[in-house]
Amino acid sequence: MAVSKPTTPSMFKKKSGTSLSAMASAASYLSALSQADARARGALNGSPTSTPALSISSSVTSSSQDTVLHEEEDYSDGLALPARPPTSEQVFKTVHTEFGHCASEEFRLTSQHTPGEPVPGHVDADPPYYILFSTYISYLILIVLGHIRDFLGKRFRSASYAHLMPKGGYAPLNSDFDSFYTRRLKTRMDECFSQPVTGVAGRTILLLDRVSPDYNHTQLFTGSPNPRLEHLGQGGCADAVEESIKRYGVSTLGSRLEGGSSDLHTVSEALVAKFVGMEDALISSMGFATNSTYIPALVGKGCLVISDELNHASIRFGVRISGASVQMFKHNDMESLENLLRESISQGQPKTHRPWKKILLIVEGLYSMEGTLVNLPKVIELKKKYKFYLFVDEAHSVGAMGPQGRGVANYFGIDPRSIDILMGTFTKSFGAAGGYIAGSKTIIDHLRVHGHSGPYAEAMTPPVLTQVVASMASIMGVKAPLPAPSSSGLRLSSPAPLALEYEYVHPGPAPHSSLPSWLSLPRELSDGSEGSTRLRRLAFNSRYLHNGLIKLGFITYGHPASPIVPLLLFNPGKMNMFHTMMKDRQTPIVVVVVAYPATPLVTSRVRFCVSAAHTKDDIDTVLRACDEIGDVLDLKHGIPRSERWPIEQITERAVELARMMK
Amino acid sequence: MDAATLSSSTTLEPLFAIMAQALNTLESTFHKLPGSAVIQRYVRSSHQNDPGRTLLELLLVIFAIRTLLQSRTRADRKGSHFIKFEEKEINELVEEWVPEPLAQPLTPNEQADLGVLPIISGPNGPRPKLLATGKTALNLASLNFAGLAGNEHIKQLAIETLRKYGLGSCGPPGFYGTLDVHMDLERDIADFLGTEASILYSQGFSTVSSVIPAFCKRGDIIVADRSVNFAIQKGIQISRSAIRYYDHNDLNSLEEVLQQVEKERKKRRGPLTRRFIITEGIFARDGTMSDLPKLIELKYKYKYRLILDESYSFGAVGRTGRGLTEIYNVPASKVDMILGSCAIGLAAGGGFCAGSQIVVDHQRINGPSFVFSAAMPGLLAVSASEGINIIRSTPSIFETLQENVRAARSILDKVDFITIPSHPASPMIHISVKHTPLVQPASAGLLSPASAALISPTKHAKDQMRQEYEAEERLLQEIAEECLSQNVIVTRAKTLKGQEHNEPKPSIKLALTAALTKKETEKAVGVVKAACVKVLGRRR
Repeated sequence: MAVSKPTTPSMFKKKSGTSLSAMASAASYLSALSQADARARGALNGSPTSTPALSISSSVTSSSQDTVLHEEEDYSDGLALPARPPTSEQVFKTVHTEFGHCASEEFRLTSQHTPGEPVPGHVDADPPYYILFSTYISYLILIVLGHIRDFLGKRFRSASYAHLMPKGGYAPLNSDFDSFYTRRLKTRMDECFSQPVTGVAGRTILLLDRVSPDYNHTQLFTGSPNPRLEHLGQGGCADAVEESIKRYGVSTLGSRLEGGSSDLHTVSEALVAKFVGMEDALISSMGFATNSTYIPALVGKGCLVISDELNHASIRFGVRISGASVQMFKHNDMESLENLLRESISQGQPKTHRPWKKILLIVEGLYSMEGTLVNLPKVIELKKKYKFYLFVDEAHSVGAMGPQGRGVANYFGIDPRSIDILMGTFTKSFGAAGGYIAGSKTIIDHLRVHGHSGPYAEAMTPPVLTQVVASMASIMGVKAPLPAPSSSGLRLSSPAPLALEYEYVHPGPAPHSSLPSWLSLPRELSDGSEGSTRLRRLAFNSRYLHNGLIKLGFITYGHPASPIVPLLLFNPGKMNMFHTMMKDRQTPIVVVVVAYPATPLVTSRVRFCVSAAHTKDDIDTVLRACDEIGDVLDLKHGIPRSERWPIEQITERAVELARMMK
Repeated sequence: MDAATLSSSTTLEPLFAIMAQALNTLESTFHKLPGSAVIQRYVRSSHQNDPGRTLLELLLVIFAIRTLLQSRTRADRKGSHFIKFEEKEINELVEEWVPEPLAQPLTPNEQADLGVLPIISGPNGPRPKLLATGKTALNLASLNFAGLAGNEHIKQLAIETLRKYGLGSCGPPGFYGTLDVHMDLERDIADFLGTEASILYSQGFSTVSSVIPAFCKRGDIIVADRSVNFAIQKGIQISRSAIRYYDHNDLNSLEEVLQQVEKERKKRRGPLTRRFIITEGIFARDGTMSDLPKLIELKYKYKYRLILDESYSFGAVGRTGRGLTEIYNVPASKVDMILGSCAIGLAAGGGFCAGSQIVVDHQRINGPSFVFSAAMPGLLAVSASEGINIIRSTPSIFETLQENVRAARSILDKVDFITIPSHPASPMIHISVKHTPLVQPASAGLLSPASAALISPTKHAKDQMRQEYEAEERLLQEIAEECLSQNVIVTRAKTLKGQEHNEPKPSIKLALTAALTKKETEKAVGVVKAACVKVLGRRR
């Protein structure tokens, strides 16, 4: 959700204040676009500039360079300053562009599953047939055109196709068939992808503007950022990280088993284990590698991995390397899972019919493209009956779901130890990088020695570890040390014999002794109040945006509590339009559009990633934008017209809406 | 009888009439369809020529329909191996099934190794403090070749970057995770090595296992060194390409393999496929160095593309640390893909692949760990950029490093009980136990994998080999612990036993650094030497 402010005097500034009617037709919009394009090209030789945008896509927000240059510029876009100025009692320690100011206690919710309520499965909402039809036709046209261009191009303009044709006895590096999708479909909307950013990705993000003179084949940067779930950007955490860079330097020099282990690793791993409520945890320096290097150490030949069909690429990578057999079940469909389990256990291994050595079920807590929550209560029930091992990838749910932010188990109120392995990443909720894997001591020790990362991959660096420790501590809150003499010297690695030591109870605050002794967090972080506010704001924002979009008439996927809200676009041409129209608003909004191959071919979508940093006003802005753009692009195919609410009603009854169950 | 026929034919008459009418309607509808005349003419003419042909075509159509329908059903369910069970039987089978534990507890040896793992308290560097004893030790275990760790200037820049960008990049490069500092670093690397472009990965180890499957697909040919590092092995495995190995660092063997592949290709006359040679600059497992000019000559001769993993040579060898291309004075553009690690070479984090613009752009959409993982933290990118700056402008770093390497080798080369496979210029020195003639025959398989393949070892011999292997590892571990007690950190080269394609010989891995003076290096290596003599001498 990047709110970017156009560099050149915005062509929409005058209009957008009034309403969308000024550009209610796509044609007028397009002509405006081409004008803007022409202007930007003219400015190519000039000095580089940048655009800030309200970021709803990954994790950053921006204030543009020209906001910095022209302080007196108006702040009507609500990005730099809050629409409602804070009163003297409210002291905000964060920068508004990074973490929005929102004082109203009304706009808070607890992320918690109501016991007894059924967990919604994944519902494929069907659009009207003409949408489906036009989507298929669009792809057909794109494909046919692409092939014609390839055919003609190779014959008449072979110079530009040299890398696709055999040359001098070398086969082309990428075959034209493999790269067809990239060249002919993705290139058309490259402007939606890989836009570089600068500055802190928080509520807003600063985009580096770019211009393509040759239909997206190259992107030039004219000078020019988006935040995710709960970005704990600056402030207390950054102070801690700075301290750690001074103390520890930037790198740990080597793999964990070969001289790259430091005391900071031990402390962080123990804290991560406490955070997720497991016995032990292991940290890896890259999120993708956590799955791709540890899964092979858990399963191998003769084992069966049962995997949700929409599992992340890193899980597939890991499973493929492991050599285990794989079976997939329909996304989040517990019936399909149970049938598969019954079949696999009764049939045994293919051909030989020997029983499987072990069966590992891999599911994600929160699916990154669908926003669905795993039906954990049912999975646990099945686990008891069918004796499989359970691996939950919490990459998107840890630090975001649950009343204490500990992930899906916390959300459903399930004991995390009834799950065998919890894996997650620090990228999304902790503003860091890398991932962890947590489980019983036996399993984690096994992974330390037999996981690929232990001996070969570089250990996580101290600044990242500190960010993890500081942000986790701020979510957990820190239990002050009991009035014992100098307990600060204690380290977690040495089991403290002091009887006064506070016993950790999951999901409670972290014991003071589990943090590095030099780490001092500001009070609002260490008492956990800010962490809990963030969690509650996130829960409100997620439900509000989700239910708001539904009430506007859009088709969305996923669980209403999920901070990832996918809005279905279907037609490929609308992705580009949606992205550009959001970005070119007076309050620019940066969103992520996703299409095949990350999603099925038909269901192209835009993915909103809500952050705790967003205020209710921000969500209003987004909803308003979606409302207007949705009319222009004909996207409202959800609930029937009679059940929809107008946008004013939605923003007014936001609290009521957020508390509504789907 | 006549009457009966007559009556039946009269009763059937209305039926015939209806059928004839239906046929007529069908025929007229058919004629109304566009293109029906063509079909009709086709069928008529083919039928006239050869009725058998029509029958065959009809069969083909039926077969096609059947195949289409069949592919929609699950193969294994219909397969001959599927056994149909009653619900009750399934319940019983589920009841009976006892899975193995998810992870086996560690063996006592593994447990012990994990227990004595040196943990560093505070900053890691050339002279870190050990957590266990609280004493300062000389570090020959951590990879800090250029001595960039703990550089105050880098730290300062990292803090500034932290203040400006925060820590995490919060998204994959494709979705607002690309920071300007990432692009700066990519440019810096390309500029430093002299390639057109480069691409950053957020972990050094995952770089090569992502680059390989981005280019090598099913049907392509990979020729790789038998002893490539684990990440390459995994990359090859996931690429599903046809793989041929040549003997470790033996380019004659490589040429033989290339000739053989060429011969096979001519014989089969298959389509032209992509072919790759994959090897390392300095091998992670023993410190030997590839002969790059010869590799390039072979690559051009047989029309292969070269993927060179320089994880342990980038930022380690060459006048300014550019790696093998600098040592051999070969333009980097002649190597199709140079992979390196900013974590090892530049004491920051992440890895990169440098090559032509086409090579790099292709990975931006096809490199799994590039596309699906968050970009590396901005401050690590800035640290790496500054690292390049420093090594580029301070050639004395690598002079010091080489001096240290020479000093270390002059001490170690004289020791009786050990062998050092590493290249004399490699700042990573592997020490392994020299086999006494007595032990030689039994462990021959360990020394040369080629001969091991010839002798099909019996179970007994295999057991014996494993025992020997473990005994050797114990000895080396003892040496490492002995050194540690003398406040010199060294480490055994840790490997994943049983998972490597070709089990590496157990060794101790010394990583020299320019941050230690020659005197300190000599002192530390002296301790290693004494420990080797003490432990291995006792064995005799």
